[in-house]
Amino acid sequence: MLVLVLAHLLVAVALPFVAVRAMRLAFALAALPPAAALAWTLVHIGPVLRGREVVETLAWAPRIDLEIALRLDPLALAMTLLVSGVGALVLLYSRYYFGRDSPDGKRSAPLLLAFAGVMLGLVLADDLITLYVFWELTTICSFLLVGQAGISRESRRSALQALLVTTLGGLVMLLGFIVLGESAGTYRVSELVANPPRGAGVGVAAVLILVGAFTKSAQLPFHNWLPAAMVAPTPISAYLHAASMVKAGVFLVARLTPVFVGVTHWWVLTAVFGVTTMIVGGWRALHEYDLKKLLAYGTVSQLGFLMVLLGTGTRTAAVAGDSMLLAHGLFKAALFLVVGIVDHQAGTRDIRELSGLWKRLPWVAATATVAVVSMAGLPPAVGFLGKEAAFEAFLHGGLGSTVIEAGLLLGSVFTVAYSARLLWGAFADKPRQTTTEAIAAGAGLVLPAAVPAVAGIVLGVAYPITDDLSSAYADTYGTGADPYHLALWHGLNLPLLFSAIALAGGVALHAARERVTNLRARLPKPFTAQRAYERIMALLERTAVGVTGRIQVGSLPTYLGIILITVLVVPGSVLLTRASLPDAVPVWHRLLQIPLAVVILIAIAGVVRARRRLTAVVLVGVIGYGIGGLFIVDGGPDLALAQFLVETLTMVAFVFVLRRLPARFVQSEPAPGLRVPKVVIAVAGGVFMAVAALLFSSARQAPPTASRYYIAHAEEGAGATNVVNAIIVDFRALDTVGEIAVLAVAATGVASLVLATRYQRRRRRGPGRSGSAAKPTDRTTADDHDSRREEARE
Amino acid sequence: MGPVQAGAVVLAQQPVEPPPIEYAAIAPVLLMLTAACVGVIVEAFLPRHQRWSVQVGLSLLTLVVAGVALGAYARGAGTGLTTLAGTIAVDTPTLFLWGTLLALGFASILLIADRSVEQGGAFVAESDASSGSSGLGASSGLSASSGPARGATADSSAPSPTMTRATAGVSGMRTEVFPLAMFSLSGMMVFCAANDLLTMFIALEVLSLPLYLLCGLAKRRRLLSQEAAVKYFLLGAFASAFFLYGLALLYGYSGSVKLAAISEATAGSDRSDTLLFAGIGLLVVGLLFKASVGPFHAWTPDVYHGAPTAVTGFMAACTKVAAFGAILRVLQVALEASSWEWHYVLWTVAVLSMLIGVVLGLTQTDIKRMIAYSSIAHAGFLLVGAIALTDRGLSGTLFYLLAYGFTTVAVFGVISLVRTSEGEATHLSGWAGLAKRSPLVAAVFTFLLLALAGIPMTSGFMGKFYVFSAAVTDGMVPLVVIALVASAAAAFFYLRVIVLMYFNEPAADGPTVSVPGAFTTAAITLGVVVTLLLGVLPTLAWNWANVGGFVS
Repeated sequence: MLVLVLAHLLVAVALPFVAVRAMRLAFALAALPPAAALAWTLVHIGPVLRGREVVETLAWAPRIDLEIALRLDPLALAMTLLVSGVGALVLLYSRYYFGRDSPDGKRSAPLLLAFAGVMLGLVLADDLITLYVFWELTTICSFLLVGQAGISRESRRSALQALLVTTLGGLVMLLGFIVLGESAGTYRVSELVANPPRGAGVGVAAVLILVGAFTKSAQLPFHNWLPAAMVAPTPISAYLHAASMVKAGVFLVARLTPVFVGVTHWWVLTAVFGVTTMIVGGWRALHEYDLKKLLAYGTVSQLGFLMVLLGTGTRTAAVAGDSMLLAHGLFKAALFLVVGIVDHQAGTRDIRELSGLWKRLPWVAATATVAVVSMAGLPPAVGFLGKEAAFEAFLHGGLGSTVIEAGLLLGSVFTVAYSARLLWGAFADKPRQTTTEAIAAGAGLVLPAAVPAVAGIVLGVAYPITDDLSSAYADTYGTGADPYHLALWHGLNLPLLFSAIALAGGVALHAARERVTNLRARLPKPFTAQRAYERIMALLERTAVGVTGRIQVGSLPTYLGIILITVLVVPGSVLLTRASLPDAVPVWHRLLQIPLAVVILIAIAGVVRARRRLTAVVLVGVIGYGIGGLFIVDGGPDLALAQFLVETLTMVAFVFVLRRLPARFVQSEPAPGLRVPKVVIAVAGGVFMAVAALLFSSARQAPPTASRYYIAHAEEGAGATNVVNAIIVDFRALDTVGEIAVLAVAATGVASLVLATRYQRRRRRGPGRSGSAAKPTDRTTADDHDSRREEARE
Repeated sequence: MGPVQAGAVVLAQQPVEPPPIEYAAIAPVLLMLTAACVGVIVEAFLPRHQRWSVQVGLSLLTLVVAGVALGAYARGAGTGLTTLAGTIAVDTPTLFLWGTLLALGFASILLIADRSVEQGGAFVAESDASSGSSGLGASSGLSASSGPARGATADSSAPSPTMTRATAGVSGMRTEVFPLAMFSLSGMMVFCAANDLLTMFIALEVLSLPLYLLCGLAKRRRLLSQEAAVKYFLLGAFASAFFLYGLALLYGYSGSVKLAAISEATAGSDRSDTLLFAGIGLLVVGLLFKASVGPFHAWTPDVYHGAPTAVTGFMAACTKVAAFGAILRVLQVALEASSWEWHYVLWTVAVLSMLIGVVLGLTQTDIKRMIAYSSIAHAGFLLVGAIALTDRGLSGTLFYLLAYGFTTVAVFGVISLVRTSEGEATHLSGWAGLAKRSPLVAAVFTFLLLALAGIPMTSGFMGKFYVFSAAVTDGMVPLVVIALVASAAAAFFYLRVIVLMYFNEPAADGPTVSVPGAFTTAAITLGVVVTLLLGVLPTLAWNWANVGGFVS
């Protein structure tokens, strides 16, 4: 199996080289791997249905139990048949659909093939992580395929939308997988099915995984990306948006329903969203004029139907779901290809412009009719088998089942109605309209469409085969006493009656289409999901712009403000709640402190008001000296000395720089609205630091272990009565020497830089060109750094 | 020294027993520091035309030798040891981080050394620096810096008069860049191995100061570059001060700067919580600033934007590795016992970081700024792993760092290739339709962006997967939900660039893609190959990242 998947990818890598020379050959070549996969699967049908499943594993990252595990079981079998079969057909069809030199074709061939390979991996995956990997790869492939030429704004937007919605869903799903895997202790699907885990985590996982499945399978409220993706060339739509990719979500639900059988909200959610999607999709399809859009909404509706069936977790529903899965893949692929032919040959796919096409394209019309029989659920097609089983599945149950049954019936009425609309719209003679001209279609185009259409009938007539296929999957839910079997004739019973009602209702609805359209026009326009998506995106964009404009203005004061606010909020709030102010704090120790404090405060006020740079620097110096003075008063002359030194040094450095700068601050007056918050933040920051300092110094309880030693040994060891002095010149003398050396080196560097700059300037008397200011910046860097360290040491 | 004096010394103190030093263990750091010093001497004594080749050779050779020394030691290393009197811990995470740093440093030096993409190198030229006309303007522009940073580009892209002279091309770039980068790298290596807070602080300064300088050395757009340098420096100094204050408070709390002692003190004591909480808060602010985690990210976009692209790559990759290495060590070794107190604070920070990175990243029209915001979001993801205090969280974060670092270096390598006549075309509009002009570069860049978005088969996915699953195991499901939503939203802006490259028509006068020189090609290839390898065969690095925890 792994070989098959790899073969797809390898051929896809090689294809561009072929496509440049011969495009048709490239498509033919591309059809080979899916055909091989199909043949391989066909060979294995027998053994798999008898219970001999094929398993392959490859250790990927054994340390965290990551492995690639592939397994061909009955469900995977059905999906593989679809993926490979339809894949091969679509590739053959593309061979004739794309022009000989169409750039679209050149891009599409390898991408489609890669997509087929990835999709094959997805349906075969037996490991949740493997499944996720392939899941995301399908997203990317589909993005590239939908984006295609991408010249039009619309196609770019819809590609992006598809990508966004499905990636978002995929990531949420990954989370669900992780939760599920962690609570079960294994990521292997087959083991999960064998021993379904229990617990609160499983319920959460169920919801998360459903989000992923809903986005991929275009369920309400994520359904809007699918119709938007219809800008892609038709073969791609046929493959991705009918047969394979959108099935991934449904497939995932089918895969995991056995695991979540006991989880109530799994089936409730699938039922509610599925039924709603089925009805809304059907209703929207009734009003589309673009044939592809019509089919797209039809697909949305059908996916809702499948979601209900496969999420329920009873055997009958599973039989119905599995057969509908097959049926839908076959008839939708056929219909998309038919629409492609119509578009290709007639040049339009607008219902209002097409008329009487059945005369021009009789074979195409016949193919479409055969496919529509299956879609509308008429005998003897496989669609009929599935629908009968579906009605049967919800027949016996409580209120919930009855509601679902009613919903399915309404959905089926819509299905019949839009099936009729499709057939009528594409091919029928319309009054007051001339017959549309169209070139007859070649067999290369019609055959790939006809094969799945006919297959739908064949599987219906040969219903025992279909029954075998679906029962094999459904038997995981236990066979029970009287298992349901697919058949064309169950006798006169309620499901048959429902089918008849659906048919009659649908035809009536189609006949009354004008009135229905009028009715819809009169209804208040509902808030569509597409608008919601656009609103959300616009809101996001606006918020982002707004926030960026406010926060990231490139202004240092703002940045500092943000950091200060954070500091105030985080440690500040902790302090506020945790700490208590020490009692009895004396306001001053000595009287001399008061005038010094006043001087400092005045200097601070002056700094803030200063207009000239030099004034500001001098005032900052005054603050520093004032603090030095406080040190002296408190009996730390050595500390004060260091402080004075540092202040002086910094001042000198400042003056060197200031010579190069304009004398006054060039900043314009800040807006008054900005001034108040600035003041508030600054004052709050200052108050915080002051309070914090007070708190910290009083909060210390552990004995100062380091200083105890020095205090004890200062007198006898160093003969000093000042411990600080003893530490600096004796205990840590080596450090002091180092410090001095560093300072000396830095000072030498500064001096030589100053001299060098002067020398250079004298040498080069360029007008208006002074020496670099980058250097003074470096210099302050060094100085500031040293002084900071100096302070740190003190 | 006479006998009398010797006797006096003995009287004052017992003879000092020099602490044993495990030279083999710290050989990589010693090698790097030596090479950096030698680099300075080379600057001083070699003639100008020889410097570039000698410096490049010296730097690359040292990195390789240090890598070999590291590998040789790691082969026989046990669970880890502490050396230099317990200030440096050489344990498995350290070895992993060192290896990562050396490899990333190698790639970054390659980018820095390239002289073919930008004629003569992306750094200010030898003759240009001493006469840079815009130096003065930069300073005055700074004091009036309330305007948006982007406004400053107008006059700065014009080359200064000296540049246009033929001499500029001949004199080449300033080669001080290499020793600076080597110093910074050594600082980073010590930073993530530091076993006490004081060593950590010194290492922080050693790694930061050269970076401040490197940021200001761009040849083009001098104003922007210098503004970035000054901003980085001022805010960085602020953060260092916070770190230092926090350090002091923690010392006051526990009576030691050693991580192990702090851990002991927090484990069981009735000491004042005030000091502990305030200390943790301030210390962590300093660390988060270096790792550019929001809301301490303010410098990141401006600095990433203004710095020379090669330096941005170096900063983005290596600084993040070092900073998170230190964060991991501090959280896991020193603060594990008090995790109940700070856990939710860091939760909030991680959420904020992801939100800021994603929301603000959405509007960016400049690719370097966009990657800067993405790095903020990634910092949030990394923090998610870092606060999962389990072995899986540790190894997941380590792996993520490795993966992210290589992708980022390669991203900036590619960015440096797309140029107009006025330098790099960092505006997004210039990237429109790139795939039509240069499919290979576009494909490589797409791959890297997908890796950043965390798409399977890339290292980004593996990293996210490890980190998030570790966080889930540790019971942080809500946080992981937010992280996943954030990564989905972040995917939006990566994917938008991809859409732009593939689905738009190129502008007629759009930028061209330079043919990269051997150095840049090597760096990008290295990044891409590692990104792919780790995505497909994560076991290669995983085995190494997952052996044992911190030793203190």
